[in-house]
Amino acid sequence: MMLQEVIDIVKVLVFPGFLFFSILGLLYEWIDRKFYARLQNRVGPLYTGPSGFLQPFADFVKLMAKEDVVPEGAEKPIFSAVPVFALALSLFAVLFLPVYGTRGIISFEGDIVVLMVIMTLFVVLIFLGGISSASRYSEIGSERAILQLLGYEIPLVASVIGAAAVTVKANPSLSIRGIVEAQSGLWSIFGIQALGFAIFLLAAQAELERTPFDIPEAETEIVAGWMTEYSGKKLALLRLARDVELAFLCGLGATLFLGGPQPVFPGAAGTVISTVLFVVKSIVVLLILTLLRAAMSRLRIDQMVNFAWKYLMPLSILQLSLAVLIPNLLAF
Amino acid sequence: MSTAIDIPIGPQHPALKEPINITCYVDGEQVVGAKLRMGYNHRGIEKAGEYQSYIQNLYLAERICGICGIVHSFSLAQATEDIIGKELPRRADYIRTIGLELNRVHSHLLWLGVAAHEVGFDTLFMYVWRDREAVMDLIEEVTGNRVTYALVTIGGVRRDLPQERAEKVLRVMDLLEEKVKKYKKMCIDEKTLRMRCDGVGLLRKEDAIALCAVGPTARASGVPYDVRADDPHAAYDEIPFKVVTYDTCDVTARVLVRIDETLESINIIREAIKKMPSGPIRVRLPRVVPAGEGVGRTEAPRGEVIHYVRSNNSDKPFRWKVRAPTLANFLSIPVMLTSKGDYVVNIADIPIAFASIDPCMSCTDRAIKFVDVNDGKSWVWSLSQIKRVSHGGGR
Amino acid sequence: MPIFGEALRNALQKRATLLYPFEKRAVAEDYRGKVEIDYNLCIGCGLCAKDCPSSAIELVLTSDNKKKPKYYISRCTFCAQCAESCPRKAIKMTPFYELATYNRKAEVVDPCGISQ
Repeated sequence: MMLQEVIDIVKVLVFPGFLFFSILGLLYEWIDRKFYARLQNRVGPLYTGPSGFLQPFADFVKLMAKEDVVPEGAEKPIFSAVPVFALALSLFAVLFLPVYGTRGIISFEGDIVVLMVIMTLFVVLIFLGGISSASRYSEIGSERAILQLLGYEIPLVASVIGAAAVTVKANPSLSIRGIVEAQSGLWSIFGIQALGFAIFLLAAQAELERTPFDIPEAETEIVAGWMTEYSGKKLALLRLARDVELAFLCGLGATLFLGGPQPVFPGAAGTVISTVLFVVKSIVVLLILTLLRAAMSRLRIDQMVNFAWKYLMPLSILQLSLAVLIPNLLAF
Repeated sequence: MSTAIDIPIGPQHPALKEPINITCYVDGEQVVGAKLRMGYNHRGIEKAGEYQSYIQNLYLAERICGICGIVHSFSLAQATEDIIGKELPRRADYIRTIGLELNRVHSHLLWLGVAAHEVGFDTLFMYVWRDREAVMDLIEEVTGNRVTYALVTIGGVRRDLPQERAEKVLRVMDLLEEKVKKYKKMCIDEKTLRMRCDGVGLLRKEDAIALCAVGPTARASGVPYDVRADDPHAAYDEIPFKVVTYDTCDVTARVLVRIDETLESINIIREAIKKMPSGPIRVRLPRVVPAGEGVGRTEAPRGEVIHYVRSNNSDKPFRWKVRAPTLANFLSIPVMLTSKGDYVVNIADIPIAFASIDPCMSCTDRAIKFVDVNDGKSWVWSLSQIKRVSHGGGR
Repeated sequence: MPIFGEALRNALQKRATLLYPFEKRAVAEDYRGKVEIDYNLCIGCGLCAKDCPSSAIELVLTSDNKKKPKYYISRCTFCAQCAESCPRKAIKMTPFYELATYNRKAEVVDPCGISQ
């Protein structure tokens, strides 16, 4: 019994839990920056580590050592708590992801619903962080974050639930495990879920606040939006939380639409291969997200909400109904 | 207005690289009013010019603005030559024209990159600035330095443009024309870019005329005002070119005016190289300028630049006055940034609307009066009062 | 959306960035860099000092009691007016542009030091 508990703790803390995803998050930030730079014919990070791949890690260490300023008028307890909670929340979310095999560390029926709640909570944290910093830029940034949430949340949920529709045929389930198992043959991106995948990518871009939806932290308009007043350790934690969230969403996309880490064969070698498969698939999602980021300009908040309700929402509902209806019709 | 909060944009803000303060009154995401405050960057260049000789002032003038450097030294030289009243060799006029147009190409490309950055389209920004390097290198080749050209002198130009260099200029122009056409297509076709620029920063034609807008800002509002065409100087009287105007009056129009002008500049450079006569490039003029008044003006990339010089029969000007284009365009900013009827200004539109006039604080800033920010009192000091204060005494 | 194709094409191209301290581009033929004064040609007329817009040239007395220009690199704006004003063509522009140092004394070309 003792051994099992130690293994569980190691799983949560090291692999495939906190440490693994923190490193993965920093690695993804590097890939994102490097690919973004290549798309713009630049070099990106170059000198820290081979091809600069230690740069995000160096940034993290540097920020940890920097002076930490709390604005005088800030709501200090909330202001200081937000970065910690943000990191805790995103690290909690990654425990649901199956890195090898078909189930994550936490896995139960209906776990994708919990994931959706976590993603919304993240925005609530952003709102609290911005509002409590007593800066006009932060305030506008957090207002925008909430407005943006109104736009993308329903399409995001619809695309994720749509992804769960692949389980309808054999063994209806609202769990990541069920979705991965149902994709053991054909990945769900081949079929009606291609539309769902597109919606998921756009919504993920909005959740991560990246161009064209980087409205809550629009640099040239409101400095850094809700993050304006954060500095030092708090900023380091927020950035790490962001990176882990990036890794989480890329992983989620790979799991829901690209088949996830299908268990190849049992044993240690199988674990390694599955993990590599998972990482490769989520990097594919990441590269698409980076390409989207490079190819667009930032929308205005009204344009974003407009776009989300006029196009994204009807499309996601259409996709969801098709995903549910078609397997049922075929069954008749 | 009761619910409006004021957002200070600047003097330090990532959207504005130079110090100026725009206070925007915001209701939700909507801007209901805007106020400009300048005076953070006054350098007293005009006064400094009164203590230096005309030749030294050329280089000082070049440093009024780093981006349209040649424009100021050209205008000052023009004003001085106006007082002396001597014709220049034609070849000098043509080389000056090429310098001015190269400057315009680089400045418009720079602006296009900045505008793309303001709306978050960093990829276009990087591409444009990468290709702008070609023209910067060309300027280095032709004038000897990338930013401060030191090309113009009183009585002509300091450097000739030999045949092989002119051919290199033509080669780069061909390359650049292809690239600029590609960016024009990109600016027209990119959906997200158009969403951010269409209908933003509206300056109606009657407003543009009433507020004396100049340069691309005026031409994008359908006012065909261009000093090169209206008051031909240098070699512009012999080179045919089109005054580009658009009439949608918004940021898109300003983008397209500038891109089309870049293409037009490329043609002017080609034409100037083709028509350039041979002969001397400068005449020697006396260092002491006879008493009189002179005006030099030209079309800078941002609009009309006016230099006024009054001389008193010495080698230093008695008074030197510069009117930079941004000063004329500032008046239209509060109009662009105020929602009125159907025209709604968002917070997100502030940077791009402001950037669309291509503001340059360093050439514009004026110290007119002193304001105490605590109680809003304002007063004007005379020169002797300023001197007394700067020496540590009271007023 | 032509930008997608353009961006991917650019990703495969050679980078445009120059890794500056390690890679250097050649400067133009007549680049205006650091000023070089040939003290053997100089007659000490002082025109360069008179025309310099940034007071980077100053006339000083050397040990053999002659007036010679002293050049402050850190003040120079590289306009080449001195080279133009010089009646003996004793002043030339060189293509050296990496002139930053930690030592302010090293930024001065002093004729007194040279003639000794």
